Amino acid sequence: MKITILAFGNIADLTGKSSWKITCGNNTKDLLQTLHGEFPELHKVKYVLAINKKLILMNTLLNDGDTVALLPPFSGG
Amino acid sequence: MEQNKIKNVFVNGAISPIFVGEAIAKHTNKKNIGAHSIFLGQVRCDLIENNSVVAIHYSAYMEMAEERLHEIRESIFKKYNLICMHIYHSLGRVEAGGICLFVFTSSIHRKDSIDACTEIVERIKNEVAIWGKELFEDESFVWKNPA
Repeated sequence: MKITILAFGNIADLTGKSSWKITCGNNTKDLLQTLHGEFPELHKVKYVLAINKKLILMNTLLNDGDTVALLPPFSGG
Repeated sequence: MEQNKIKNVFVNGAISPIFVGEAIAKHTNKKNIGAHSIFLGQVRCDLIENNSVVAIHYSAYMEMAEERLHEIRESIFKKYNLICMHIYHSLGRVEAGGICLFVFTSSIHRKDSIDACTEIVERIKNEVAIWGKELFEDESFVWKNPA
């Protein structure tokens, strides 16, 4: 499964990049394992995932070409 | 009619008080309006561990933020009897004292504009993919905590 990852806020600081491609299994649990393997500091920070701009709250199936965003708590306004 | 338009919310840098004044002036010919409600968010010079915030740098997941702002507009128009609604949020650097959020609602009677304005501000803070980075005098920074 080829996925585009977008990172924002302190997550982008932590990963050192804001957009990259990753190869992982077909669900978000697997994707998180892959990401946490590459960036162990992700365990320490709070964030949620959005697949193709939709927030997800549980393990979700991924499709080839999906964009998954790592979103720290919003702090606009 | 107005609720169907997708509006440009994001402004580079601070929102000028002149822009706010002109936005108010544009409504003088809408004579069915009896109440305006305005919220202005201003960048505060917080003191964090003896370091003063000099500015906030705002960034957003633009595509997702715009979609959510559109959904908020639609649902607020459905819920309240509004004549118009304008939302502007800064991107990039806003110095302390600068305006970073401008929400402007208008209605026939005050309750709709006041309640809608309050709900829009809360929903922007909770639901829209925007992040603020607080910049200090010594060029260090912290990511703003959601309030």
